[in-house]
Parts: sequence; C-alpha cells; structure tokens
Amino acid sequence: MAKDAFGAKVKERVNWPITAGLILLALIVIIFPLYMAVRIAVADKMPTGLEIFTLPETWDFANFLEAMEATQFFTSFMNSLLITVVAVVVSILIHSLAAYAIGRNMERRVFKWSYLFIIAGMYVPFAILMMPLVKQTAIMHLDNMVGVMILYIVFYMPMNVMLYTGYLRNIPVALEEAARVDGASTWTTFWKVIFPIMKPMHATVAVLTGLAVWNDVMTPLVIMGGSGVYTLPLAQMSFQTAFGTDYPLAFASYLLAMLPMIIFYIFAQKQIIGGVTNGAVK
Amino acid sequence: MTAKPITRRHALGLSAAALSSVLFAGCTSETADGKVQVEIVSYKQEAKSIFDQIQADFNAAHDDIVLKIDSPADAVTIMKTRFVRENYPDVIGIGGDGDYANFVDSNILADVSDYEGIGNVKKSYTDILKSVTYVPMEGIYGVPYVANAAGMLYNVDMFEEKGWSIPETWDELIELCEEIKAEGEVAPFYLGYLDTWTILSPWNSVTVNMVPSDLARQVNAGKAKFADYYGEPARRMRQMLQYSQTLLPGEPGPFAASYNDACTSFANGKSAMYPCGSFAVPQILTGNPDINVGMFAMPSADDPADRIVVSGVDLQWCVAETCPHKEAVFEVLDYLAEPENLQTYLDDQRAIPCVEGDFTLDPLFDGIQEFLDEDRVLDYLDHSYQSAMAVDAQLQTMLLDERDDDTAIAAFLERFDTDWLRYNRDVIRKVQEYESQH
Amino acid sequence: MATLTKGKVGSGRMKTFYAILIPVLILFIAFNTFPLLTGVFYSFTNSKGYGAFDIVGLQNYLDLFSDARVGNSYLFTFKVAVVATILTNVISLLLAIALSSKIKFKSALRGLFFVPQILGALVVGYVFSYLFTWIIPALTGTESILASPDLAWIAIVVVLVWQSCAQTTIIYITGLSSVPEDVYEAGSLDGATGWNKFRYITLPLIMPSVTTNMVLVMKNMLMVFDQIVAMTSGGPSQSTESISYLIYNNGLSGGQFGFQCANAVMFFILIAVISIVQTNFLSSKEEQL
Repeated sequence: MAKDAFGAKVKERVNWPITAGLILLALIVIIFPLYMAVRIAVADKMPTGLEIFTLPETWDFANFLEAMEATQFFTSFMNSLLITVVAVVVSILIHSLAAYAIGRNMERRVFKWSYLFIIAGMYVPFAILMMPLVKQTAIMHLDNMVGVMILYIVFYMPMNVMLYTGYLRNIPVALEEAARVDGASTWTTFWKVIFPIMKPMHATVAVLTGLAVWNDVMTPLVIMGGSGVYTLPLAQMSFQTAFGTDYPLAFASYLLAMLPMIIFYIFAQKQIIGGVTNGAVK
Repeated sequence: MTAKPITRRHALGLSAAALSSVLFAGCTSETADGKVQVEIVSYKQEAKSIFDQIQADFNAAHDDIVLKIDSPADAVTIMKTRFVRENYPDVIGIGGDGDYANFVDSNILADVSDYEGIGNVKKSYTDILKSVTYVPMEGIYGVPYVANAAGMLYNVDMFEEKGWSIPETWDELIELCEEIKAEGEVAPFYLGYLDTWTILSPWNSVTVNMVPSDLARQVNAGKAKFADYYGEPARRMRQMLQYSQTLLPGEPGPFAASYNDACTSFANGKSAMYPCGSFAVPQILTGNPDINVGMFAMPSADDPADRIVVSGVDLQWCVAETCPHKEAVFEVLDYLAEPENLQTYLDDQRAIPCVEGDFTLDPLFDGIQEFLDEDRVLDYLDHSYQSAMAVDAQLQTMLLDERDDDTAIAAFLERFDTDWLRYNRDVIRKVQEYESQH
Repeated sequence: MATLTKGKVGSGRMKTFYAILIPVLILFIAFNTFPLLTGVFYSFTNSKGYGAFDIVGLQNYLDLFSDARVGNSYLFTFKVAVVATILTNVISLLLAIALSSKIKFKSALRGLFFVPQILGALVVGYVFSYLFTWIIPALTGTESILASPDLAWIAIVVVLVWQSCAQTTIIYITGLSSVPEDVYEAGSLDGATGWNKFRYITLPLIMPSVTTNMVLVMKNMLMVFDQIVAMTSGGPSQSTESISYLIYNNGLSGGQFGFQCANAVMFFILIAVISIVQTNFLSSKEEQL
C-alpha cells in the first residue's frame, strides 16, 4: 500500500495538486533554462528582453555548424571521450584490485595503514596539488592527455577504494576458498570470482568517476592549458572570450557541450541515478 | 596458468605507465626535415587572422625556418603556465606592462641588444620599456612592434550631426555630458566595467594628466604616497558613472555590461563616447563596420595645453633566454617588421608603429596626431601595477561603493598604499638595493 | 575472518597482495603525496612559479592573516557553502517528499529533476550568467545581481543549489523509501499525524541520509570553482572570489605561486579538520541508530 512521506496511508488515488506543482516546478526550474539555451542558439540574432518567451521566426541551425568549428567540437569530444573511458576502465581495474588486496588484509598493519593513507587523500583539495602538479607533470612530460588520465586515476582512488572495500566486506570469503580448493591462484580467484561479483560496484564507480571526469575543467586547464589540445569543457572555457557578444553562437556551443551527456542520460538513466545514489549512500 | 609471472609483469606495467611517456616525449625545436621551428605565442588574440596570414606568407617564402604563431585566448596565463613548466616559446608577444617587468625580473628573457633591427625602433619606445622594469636594466629585453593610445573614443558622425565640439577641459566634458543627457537620445558613455580591466583605460588617461609621471618609482623609493595624488582622479572616475548607459532604458548597468557588450553598444550608436583605447576599435568594428570612430585626449589636465595622451607599447617581441636559435628568430622579427607586413597589421588593428618608417596611420588617430608628433605621450600607469594586486578590481570596488564620494575614495586610497607596499615588497627591496649601489 | 586471509607474509598469496599494493601506493604517492609535499615546500618561498626564488620562511603564512583579499575569499566561500548546503538540503528534502508521494509520471519527474547533476558546472554557469544578466532584469526591471557586490554571491548560491539538489534529492528519496511501513502504522496508533509524524518518525529514520548529504554537499561547495570562472571571475569588486579561484588565479597568473601555496596548505588543513569533525559526527549518529 502506498504512503506519503508523512506516513499517512493514501488510497491508490493520484495526488494531483502535488503532481501539478512538481510539473510546474520542473517547467520553470529545469526546462526553462534548457529551453532558453535552445531558443537563443537557433536565433540569428540575440533575442532582446522578453522576446525570449516567443518562438523564433526562423530556425537557424547554422550556429551549430559554426560553433562546432569554433570549438573544434569533434576533436574536443573525442579527447573527452578518450580521457573518460581510459580513466573509468583503468580505475575499475586498479581500484578494485587495490581494494581486494587491502580489504582482505585489514588485520595487517601495513594494509590497514595503507588504506587510511589512501582514504586520507579525499581530504586533499585539488587546489594544493594543482600548482606543484603543473611543474611535476611538465618535468615528467605528462602535461598532456596521458598525464590528465593518470591524475584522474589517482584523484578518484580514495573514493573508489573506499567503495570497493566496503562492498568487499559483504562478499563471503567462503567463495574464494571454494575457488582456492579448485587450485586457482589468488590472482585468478580475483578475476574469475571476485571481480564479477563486484559488478554492481563497478557500475557505481564507472558512473561517479565518469561523470566527474567528463565534466571536470580544472585538471585539463592547469595540466594541458595552452597546449592546443582541448577537452569539451576546456574548449568551452578557452573559446568563451572569442564568442564575444555573439550569444547565439555561444549557446549553440553550450548545447553541443551538454548534448552528449543528455543523450547518454536518456539511455542509461537508471544506471546513472543508481550509481550516484549507491556511491553516496555507501 | 601460473600466477606469479603475470602478477609481476602487471605490477611493473602499472608503475611503468607513469614513466612511459617520459621516455617517448621530448623537446624538439627542429622539425623532422631539419628545418628550424620558431614558435611565437602572442597575447593579441584579436590579431590572430593577421598573424595567420603572415605565418603562411613567411612559411611559403622560407624553406629553412618554420614559423608558428599562436594567439590563444587568455594568452598571458598560458605563457606563465608554460614558464612554470619550463617550456618556453622562442618568442612571446606581450605588452610593455607589469607582466613584462616580472618576466625581465625573473631572468627568462634574453638581452637582444645585438639584434640589428633594434636600430630601427623609435627610441621613445625603447625608453618606455626601460621605464617599465623595476630597476633600469642594462640590456634590451623586448623589440617594440606597435603602440596604442588611450583617451576618449567618440562617434565622429554623431558629433558632427549634433554639432558637438571636442571638449578640452574637464568642465567642458561634463557640460557636454549634461547636454547629451538632457537630449536623452543616447548615453554620453557606454561603460563595460563588468570586465574589470576595462576600468584601467579611463583611469590611465584621466590620471596620467593629474599625477607626476614617475609616481610609482617615487613610492617604491619611499619618497611619495599614492594617497596624495589618486584622490582627484578617483573622484572623476565616479563622476563619469553618472553619465553611463543607465540613462537609457533597458540597458545593463556599467557593472553588468562586459567589454564586448560595451564595444557593440557604442558601435551601434547607443553612446556618444567610449572611454577606451585604440585597441578596442577592431572589436567595435565587428559590432558595426560602418561606424566612424575618432579619439581625443582625455581633458583632465588643468590647462588644456598640458593634456597628455596615454600611449604604451601594445605589442613587443621578447625572446626567451633559453632559445637556441636566435639567428632564425631575428630573421622572423625582421620579416614581421617589414613595412608591408607591419602596415597590414596597422590597418587591421588600428595600431601605431614603433618602427621608424613611412607608415599610414588610421584616421582614428587624426585627433591625437599632434600629441604623437610632439611626444606629448606617457605610458600607461597600470604597466607598473602588480597583476596580483588587482588594481582594476580595487577601482571597481571604489566605483561600486555606495557611500558618499569622500568616504569611498578615502577607503580606496587607504587600501591602495597598504596593498602596494605588500605586493611590491620584493620590488621595493630591489629598488632600494639598486639605489644604494648607484 | 576465515583462515584463508591469514596467510604467511612469505606465502604466494601474500606476495600477490603486496605486488598489488606496492605499485598502487607508488602511483598514489607520486601524484598525490609528493605534489602535496612540494606544495608545502613552495609555501615557504617567494616563487612566482617560474624563474629564481628565495626561501622566505613563514613570511607567506604571516601575510595570509593580514591579507584582506584572502580573508574575504574565506568568508565568501564559507558563506556560500553554508547557505547553499542548508538550502540544498531543505529544498531536496521537500522535493523528495513530493516525489515520493502518490503522483502521476513519477519516474519521468524524478528523471527530470536529476538532469542538472549530469551537466558540466562550467556550461551551466554560462547559461545562468546569461539568465541573470539579461532575462531576470528584463522580467523584473531591476539591475543584474551579478553586477552588485552585495548580491552577486546569491547568484552563485542559486547555481550551486540548482545543480546539487539533483543528487541530494535522489539520496533522500532512497532514504524515505527505506522507512519501514510498520513504523508508520505504530505511529498512527499513537495518534501521530502530519508534521509531528514527519518530525518524530520520518526525520529520525532518514537522519543517516541527512548527515550524508550535509557532508557531501558541504565538501563540494567549499571547492567551488567552475561556477565562479563562468559567472563572475571573482567580481564585482572581488566579492565572489572563492578560495580555489584565488589560488588558481593569483597562483598561476598573478605570480604569487609561493604565497598561494601557503594559502592552499591552510585550505587543506581546514578541509581536513572539517571533514574529520563531520565524519566523526556522522559515525556517532549512526551508532545511535
């Protein structure tokens, strides 16, 4: 039986006032800014004042082509995609492995301290690492996409290791023993038994790391700013001044930058929401 | 399958991942076919198309040198980030400003006294560069290319149509503003103070007429205080706010409008004047290619005969100390200074050449031609301000202060001198060391 | 724990574990601990980031406490973080309650309210900056709040809340859905209704979600950077300079590398203290349940 948040039992009757209120709120708060972006992007001239509430006389999609060119959309998109995919895949592999080694040896001092040491990394703000990393990555010739990927793998290690270690506690050791009895090595046991069982946590890690990496601007900005190589957000930032007062062009480019994630969200809504919730609640 | 070898190999792979690109990446200044590559990073983003053209022409005419000119957005930050990375471009194109002073002070620029082309540069501009550095430097650390001028930009056609005359004193300027305000068709000024740096333009041209030209050095030597001089210019800056676009309905206020907004709006006739520099003209023309822009000297001197125009090195070429192929760089600099190429730049960017020669100046400068000819010009004051001190933001704070003028200005002056000492601590130490030795 | 995990250090199993742990630690130390220590070192210098520098001892730290701009950035950051954290949690809780009630289009609405979470903060900032500069003044006939040093921070809070409500709401929905039915039935027998039922039954049961959200949101808010870059660049009158923005801006392009490293060290200590206090608070709360 359904209940409202105050615990009152409600008959299976739709609460229309709340439904209407929520729809109205969604229209104003979520849909309107997005509508505004579309409205400006398809205009040939910036709508002045309240003109924004009227539909444009002509729909002009040339802005999108121009914006694609101006922000090097395809290369930036591919760079973002490459960085995100590599960071996510490597994070899943390394962080789950690390969590396995640590989580199964928590009673040993070395592993326990290593765990705390890595987890403490969550409290290190990027601001303090930023400037030394600019120098360090340059000296190591990592002031490029490879460097940015490595940094992401390190930055999200504390959170991911914590998530995986927490999840590992619920996996009975007996499962490993069974594999062990069959003669499997620790290494094989992990990949054949543990890694597949961790699947729900892989989804969480992928969503959390993926979202954060995809939308991050600060790391690529300081590590590879000025190299002429852009990620999508970095391209937005770098070309922002070049748009000048050509707001239709600017908004076409904003929409282009948001579009990949929106499309992805439409198809993987359940996994994304699940991943974010899972990661926060754990 | 045995576990151990795989484990070890995997572990090695992990740690090697971090190091792998160290082995494969490397600095090269030569391209694969043995040509020397000369890389220039210029802070003139608006001149990108001109330099793209010059780059293409140069590369077509030279088979031993490959020229690469970048004009990225936020170029100075990019330069500094690259310096942090110790990845120096061969040449940087910057203004003769505080950043230049910092770079010279950090010993990252090469002394180019042995460059022959320096002989063609007008002496007044190499002198200006000498006055920018913290202490007078022995060598020459930049090759001035073009200069700009700041004063008051105005809509020539509008002035002619309405029969307004060019004000020569501050009172005349205010009178004119009152007249324009009374008519109510356009605003006297369009101000884009959302972008704080645009505040420096009127500040420079108002103040330069009212303070000693070596004030910053006097302060650094402990012989003067800004508070004794900056009060009146500050008052005038606040006065100008009363004649901004807020007089027109529906326009964003001075602190909501950006530089681009201001340029576009001035271009479209929303204001009669725009207190900015010649560097803004290309941006203005993108808003309206037909506008006829003129410039007059900011009438803030007591005596009209003492009026001064602000002019500084807008773009100069500085060679990195680490650059291994200076000969090739000098060849590039010669090419850039060739009359034909420089004239192309001047026409496009409405700039003033720093090189001797017979160049055609844009009609924009007709109103200040006599100042240029008679050398009644002084460098931008902000060229001696530390960027971390953010004088532009301090001016914005003063202008936004809603208390009465006296209180707001007093607060500004008090903070200015305190901050100056704090942000120039290293500079002041150097100046005093220098003075004790000379 | 089973006997399996208690292998000897020398055993093959333990070798494998060490072979995993050591490279991971090396990677972590190389790109987290080492730069952290380098940052601490630079905080004792007057380095501009490039060129020569001198060691200046504690000078930078002394300057930190007398620097009005740094002080203002801390005040601004904490003001924004506290206000935005509270607003986010109140709004999200209300939204979660509404989205958990018997409504039509439930999953579509939940999906819609989650959209801000997936968008990049930078681009969202650009869109809202336009909204505040052009649309809202046109609607209300007032000056853009982005142009006012007294109000610009509100615009930053609005954007932060807009984005962070998405995740927070979903976490509250999860929290609400885990409240067992029979607790309410017991409550109803005792005559609890409406607000009282929420206050004395629902709220205590979703307390873990509340603390989770408080910690998560607060930490994110303290790091605010993208929105500042996109909307105000720290202005007007430096009234919206967040700590991260000031460190980036003055440290890299302002030539205050050493000084801003000192600022970053302070910021790190502060974040660590706040997080540890919050985490302890969180775990003590959880033990009570």
